[in-house]
Formats: sequence, structure tokens, C-alpha cells
Amino acid sequence: MSRNASRPDVDFADRFPRELAGELLAIAREGGADFSEVYAEYTVQTAFALDEGRLKRSSVAVLEGVGVRANAGAQTGYACADGFLPADLREAARVAGHIARDGGAGRVAPFHVTDSPAPFTLSFPAPLALDEAAKIAMLRRADEAARSADRRVREVEITHADSTRRFVVANSDGRWAEDRQYLSRFSVAALALEGDNRQQGFAAAGGCVEAGYFESERTPETVAREAAQSAITLLAAREPEAGSTPVVVAPGWGGVMVHECFGHSMEGDGIRKRTSIRADQRGRQVAAKGVTIVDSGVVPFSRGSFRVDDEGTPAQRTVLVEDGILIGYMWDLLNARIMRERPTGNGRRSSYRDYPLCRMTNTYIESGPHTPEDLVADVKRGLFCKHLGGGSVNPADGNFSFVVTEAWQIEDGRLTHPVRNATLTGNGNDAMLKIDAVANDLKIDGTTGSCGKNGQWKPCGVGQPTVRFSEITVGGTAT
Amino acid sequence: MSAPVRDPGAAGARVDGAAAQGSTPARLRDLGALAVECALAAGAAEAEACVESTRSFSVGVSGGAIETLKQNVTRGLGLRVLVGDAVGFVTTTDLTEGTLDDLAHRAVALARFLTPDPCNAFVTPAEAEGADGATLPEDLALFDPAVRELPAEKKIEWALELERLALAFDPRITRTDGAHVSTHDGASAIVNSNGIARAWDSTAVTAYVVPLADDRDGRQQTGCYGVSKRWLRDLPEPRAIAAEAARRAVSRIGARSVPSARVPVVLHPDIAANWISEMHKAFSGEALLKESSWLTGKLEQLIAAPLVTLVDDGRLRAGIGTEPWDGEGVATRKNRLIDRGRLATFVYDVYHARRAGRRSSGNAVRGYSSQPSIGFTNLYIEAGAQSPEQILKQVDRGFFMDDQGSFGFNSVTGDYSYQAQGFWIENGEKAFPVEGVTVASNSLEMLKNVVAVGNDLRFDHSVASSTLLISEMTVSGRAA
Ligand SMILES: [Zn+2]
Repeated sequence: MSRNASRPDVDFADRFPRELAGELLAIAREGGADFSEVYAEYTVQTAFALDEGRLKRSSVAVLEGVGVRANAGAQTGYACADGFLPADLREAARVAGHIARDGGAGRVAPFHVTDSPAPFTLSFPAPLALDEAAKIAMLRRADEAARSADRRVREVEITHADSTRRFVVANSDGRWAEDRQYLSRFSVAALALEGDNRQQGFAAAGGCVEAGYFESERTPETVAREAAQSAITLLAAREPEAGSTPVVVAPGWGGVMVHECFGHSMEGDGIRKRTSIRADQRGRQVAAKGVTIVDSGVVPFSRGSFRVDDEGTPAQRTVLVEDGILIGYMWDLLNARIMRERPTGNGRRSSYRDYPLCRMTNTYIESGPHTPEDLVADVKRGLFCKHLGGGSVNPADGNFSFVVTEAWQIEDGRLTHPVRNATLTGNGNDAMLKIDAVANDLKIDGTTGSCGKNGQWKPCGVGQPTVRFSEITVGGTAT
Repeated sequence: MSAPVRDPGAAGARVDGAAAQGSTPARLRDLGALAVECALAAGAAEAEACVESTRSFSVGVSGGAIETLKQNVTRGLGLRVLVGDAVGFVTTTDLTEGTLDDLAHRAVALARFLTPDPCNAFVTPAEAEGADGATLPEDLALFDPAVRELPAEKKIEWALELERLALAFDPRITRTDGAHVSTHDGASAIVNSNGIARAWDSTAVTAYVVPLADDRDGRQQTGCYGVSKRWLRDLPEPRAIAAEAARRAVSRIGARSVPSARVPVVLHPDIAANWISEMHKAFSGEALLKESSWLTGKLEQLIAAPLVTLVDDGRLRAGIGTEPWDGEGVATRKNRLIDRGRLATFVYDVYHARRAGRRSSGNAVRGYSSQPSIGFTNLYIEAGAQSPEQILKQVDRGFFMDDQGSFGFNSVTGDYSYQAQGFWIENGEKAFPVEGVTVASNSLEMLKNVVAVGNDLRFDHSVASSTLLISEMTVSGRAA
């Protein structure tokens, strides 16, 4: 076939001219809204999946349309339309604008293009540079590697998915910003069987990466072997001992704990509405001394990074906690405007079909002074969490829980045997205060995370060095 | 302008201006047929189009004012093509003329990369009919014109009223994390080159509120309750929804942890419903084929207490999970997954049914933007005889679980381990609220350990259960 079925990089500027954007912004302010914004998007997603050794699925998805937002004080009106038909877009703008109706029509400032520098650039973005044949070759290599890793590997499911997202965001304050974001994700799930015992291991690679990443950084074979090894390890794992115990969390993806236990409570919407327990804690000690927590949209090659956020604010590095003291929050435009804060580039939305929310980019704990070995060596009896699964938190009461897909028992400072099905639970109010040692091996995992908030999913990075908590409640069936 | 909007007035009326346009099922079916024609012309041996058009509206209020007002009018098409026994798939939100032909060529190009498999084929009218030759369509009551016509201002009023009633329920409820009302009005069509041409429309209305109750040390306890229905008249009064949500928040005040123990656990219907929705993957014919289900090799065996009958009913009248046809155009049906404790069947889409040498059970789930996969419709445990109070009375010392974390189920092993909230039970009564514990077991053990099923089955959403009593689970809390 000569036709490239994916063909991701279509230009849509001619279908969304500035005059139309200006007209929509004006319509949305006709009722007196004090702010209006249009967001036009063209996204192409491709996916290939191999399982049972067969290439079973391939898909190309095109998502295109425009969303219009109007703000009146803290109120948001939003409407979207698929495609770029001017009549549909004008209707959306009118609907969004109805949130306000008792003021005079607002002005729309002349556009100024946001030209902040990109935090990093890609010469050969994977979604553009890898064609179908290249992606399929990766799937086959991973399948071969996982199956040859151990004869107990029974099934392997491999997916390659990527997206090219191009958007324009313009607002009534005269902002005009464009960005193009490339994401790739390669994942392997391996099922190991031994008699009646079945366990699944999982590993992933990707981010906002160059095509070469999959040959130089994390190859299909590396990912496949990790998934297979994890499944095999779990075959021999024991049930966790239930109760409170010291917990050491591995670097990288383990940062999902700081994301859930702490990050969500630092988002500007909860601070403004005072539904977060952190609303009055600026200047206070919220984490143990020596703990520094950062949210940064400029981490190279992470899926949580970008040049401008979905409101057109340049990405930045925001220190949330310095040496245990809360020094700043994360802000989107709406909440920053009401609270008279400076936006921090945290306004994000899953697509033109949703209004932006204040949310994290790449959130991580900075390195500390210890070696990772020290953290385990000092523990008499505890749990080392190597792979965490999903986690969640209730922002109002702070209760969190995490699934630990692969853990190891610590006895007298040594890892003795693997543990499966442990659940970590606690309350975000004090979790960060219970960190009693931070190692010097920071790793940011920008390959695979997605955060859900109010029904919107968004790619995020998380990270940390090896971190020890003095005590966390571990749920399990062994008592 | 930051004054609370208490009288939405004209705003509400004009938001509805867009209601008139919208695609009828017949128009979507024609569009699907056109896409199928384009695919055949582009070289596909068979083709199938899934087209959807939806209009959704939602309002969120907080502190007596509208916080968000949102209206989405969306439409999209997914096209599957069969080329040399392999399937290619393309989906788009751009349905303007001239794009279908391009779409079809892309799909055909994609299919050529895939592994041919004779089980890949789209369903024929003969295969797609209901079990026992049931004639279709019967009236499944999925569309309520009153939902389509409900004025925006009415929805805003309801949301404000929901919040007001929740705040008025108890002085310790001083704020909410919002009250929400949303409506959904959509049409769907499935058309394939074997002669399948389905189209139907449906509505849904949802209302929920999240009251926050003040607890000690400036902490808050959350209650959340909401209901989704196809018909406006089936939605409970705002007063009932608000009271249930508020009661949940207030009842948690003063919650504390308990020492770890193995005890009987009463699962609130919401918790039981979440468990069976996680369990459902184990009943998938795909998982069975790959041996990735913890129910592998157990067909026809007793896997649960005889009290347990687990049903997936795609034809429940006015059910939120009900559709006349599944995502491949196969008639949905009522499948008994566990029949009085016995593992009675696995569920299938067309592809995996063909591999297993049987017929689809009508369980292909999809939207226009995804390919069919095996899922559930309305999933529930049949009601038993005992009231929730009678069940509680049977427990001398145990845990009543009525809230949980989001993650804690292993779909490969059936292992169950959730962060939980609820009440400690002493002598058949709730003694005090509990938090900071996890509740763990394995689904096979739990199924066998069901010793009571309540008579309080209620469909607030598409998955439902009565109260269940599990004779023993591990509750882990603080050190004993
Ligand atoms: Zn999150």
C-alpha cells in the first residue's frame, strides 16, 4: 500500500481561521461573561495489538472539533461541536455564553501569539517516524522475548498506541497559543501459569519520545522480559501480612503515591473551594524535613510534559513543598484569576469535549541524601514495594489506597520473599509526614500514567527516589 | 460577575435551543449503509459501521450557585472492514461528505497488516436473532421523550434543590462537593454488509450529590449517592437522593480503625455490586480461551453457595445497561452466569463464540470509537429472602462495609483487597463507624462463603445487588 493509513500530521489552520476564533469569543461574551476561550483540536490516534501470537487489532481514530468556554466569576459554561462547521461552532459559543446573561457584551482583545520555548524538541517523534510495519515488528519482537523468557509464560498481550495532537487555544484576553503533542505507549502483559496458579505481570515504555527511544532506551525485549519476570516472580509470592509496618517504595512509578496522597490536594480548584485540607497550609510543615515535592511540565520526554498547557499557559517547574514546608499550589486560569495567583501551567483537558481542570503534569519527590540500600538495611520487618498498581484518593477526607502488584518482604534489612496482593491504605493528611528517609536515586516515570479527575483522563508523569515510610497500613489475608 | 445564579430564567430556556437538530436513528442507519458501501468499493470483503449521535447536558452546582453548565453535541462513526479474513478499524468524528471514502481506504489498508483468522467475520441476520427465536424488537422502554424535552432550567433547579436538601438534612453538613444533574439523549446504528441494519434511540437521566460532614480536627466525611434512569419518572425524588447521600456522610463522623481480625462481613448493595462488576471479566469467553480467568475449568461446577444466582440481562425493561442489540447487532438476552451456585455459562461476542464453536451471547460492548469487546449489560445477583436488618442480626461480631477505594481487584486471580469504610458490628447492630481498614479475600472463597442474600435489590445503575453476608474475610486495621 502506498497510502499511509495513519497519516497523523494534518494541518487544520485553514479550517479554523483567526477571524472565526475571534467571532466565537465575542459570541461567548455577548451575555456578559468576563472571559471566553475557544479550543480547536485535531488528534489522530493509532493502535496495534497482538495477543495469542496473532496481530488481532489495528485502528486509526480521528478526533476533531472545537470547544467553547465562558466564565462568569467562578461559573463555567461549556459547549463543544465535532468538526469545524462554522454554524455548529457559533451555536456552541452561544450555548457556552449563557452562563452569564445580565452584563453587557465583553470585548475580545487582539491576539498575541504565545511563543514560549519548547522544554525539549523531538527530531523524529515516534508517532510520525514509526510506520505500521515498524510498530508491528516491535510487537512481534516483544511476543518472542516474553515467550522465550520462561516456559511458564502462557499468554502475552502487547499493545502499541500513539497519538498526535494538534491544538489551538485562543481567549478573550488576546491569547493565541498552539501546540503539537506526540505520545507513544508500548505495553506488555504476560500471563504465567503453573498448575492452578495464574499470575499476570505488566511493563510499559513510551512517553513523548523519539522513534529511536524504542531501540536505545527501552527496547521491546526489555519491556517484554520485565513483564514476564514479574509474572514468574508472583507465582512464588506469598500473601501479605496484614497490619501496620514500615514500607519502602521503589523509585520511579512509586511516585504515584505522592501524586495521589499529596498532589491532588494541591490542585487550585480544591484550594479555592476549600474542599482540600491543604487550603490553609501555605507556610506550614506538611511533609517530613528533607522532603521536596515538585510538579513540572518540562521534564524531558515525559508524557506529562508540553510546551503550553491546554489553556495556552507555558509549562513550568513549580515547587510545591520545599524541605517539608508547603510553599505553593498548582493553578489553572480560572482558579488563579479568582484567587489572584499566577497560573502555573496546570490547566489541562482530555479533549475539546471537556473544559480544562486544574491538574498535575509530572509530580515527583526530589532526591535525598541516602543510598537506596540504606533504606532497606535499617528495617527489621517491613514491606518493599517494587511495583505499584493503581491508586486512588478521596480528596475530601484524604483516605487513599494503592494496590501493590509486586512487593517483597523485608526481614532484618534484607528482601526475603515476594508478596502479592498487598494493599496500602492511609490518610493523605499525614502520609508525607511519615516519610523518614529519602534516597538519592530519583527516577521520573513518564511512560505510562494516566490520571482521572471528574471523568477526564489525562497523561501524567510521576516520580521519586527510593522512599521509606515509617508506617503504613498493609491489607492482606494473612494475619 | 460572581453573584450566585438562583434564577436561571432565560439562560435555561435558550440553552435548549440546540435540541431541535440531532440525528434520528434512521439517518444514522443511512449513514452507516453509505460507509459500508464505500468500504466494499474500497476492496473490503465485508464491512460494518457503528454510528452514534448524542446530545448530553450536565449542570453542577455548589454553594447555591451554578458551577458548570455543559452541553455536548457529538457524533461519530466507526468502520470495521474484513480483508482476507483480517479486520481493519477506523473511527472519526468528521462525518462531512467526502470523508467516508477516505476512511474506507484507510481501514482496508490497515487490515492488510493483520493476521488472517477465519473466525473474523461479521454477523449474519440468522446468527443475530434472539435466543429461542425471540421476535425483535419488543419494547424495552429505552427512550423517554420527557428526558429529551426536559428544560435546562428544570435540571438546574433540581441540582440546586438536591444540594439544598442535603445541607438541610443535618447541621453537621456545612457544604457539598457539588450536586449534579445530567441528561443524555442519543441514537445508535449498526449496519453490516451481511444485511444487518439496526438503529435505535435511548435516553438517560442522572442525579447525584456529594455532601461533606464536619468531623473532628477539621476533617470531613464524604457521602455520595446518585441514581441513573432511562425514564424521568423512574428517578427518585430529590429529597430521597439527598437524604441518602447526607445520611452516608453523617454516619461516618467519628470513624476509627479497628484491630485486624478474620470476621463475617456484610457487603452493602453498592459494595456487592462493585464486586460483581469486577468479577465479570472472569466470565468472559475470551479470558476462558486464554486461560486468564480464575474460573477456567470450572464450567458446570458449584463455585458459589446455592443462594447465589448471578444474571446478566441485556433485556431488562428500561435498564440503564439494556440495549436491543449489542455492539455487533446481535440481539441481547438474559444470561444466567451463576445458577444457584453452579457456573452456568461464559459470555461471548461473535469472534470468540466462533472460536469456541458456539453463538454469541449478545455481550459485545462498544461505542462507535472502539471495536467490540466482551462486556456486561445489566449485571445483578438475584434477590434473596432476608431483609438487611435480619442479615445484620445474624452477626455477633463483624464488619459492615459500605464504602471502598477504587482499586483492589485482581482480575486474573480473583483476589479481593480494598480499602474500606463502614461500621463495626456487635451483637447484630452497628456499634460505631470504621475507617482505615482493608477488607480482603479471594472471590472464589467469597462466592462459597455467601451465607445470606438480602431482599433489597435495587437498580440505581446498571450493576446491582442486594445486601450480602460473607461468613469470613480478613479485616486489616491497626495492630491488635
Ligand atoms: Zn490522579
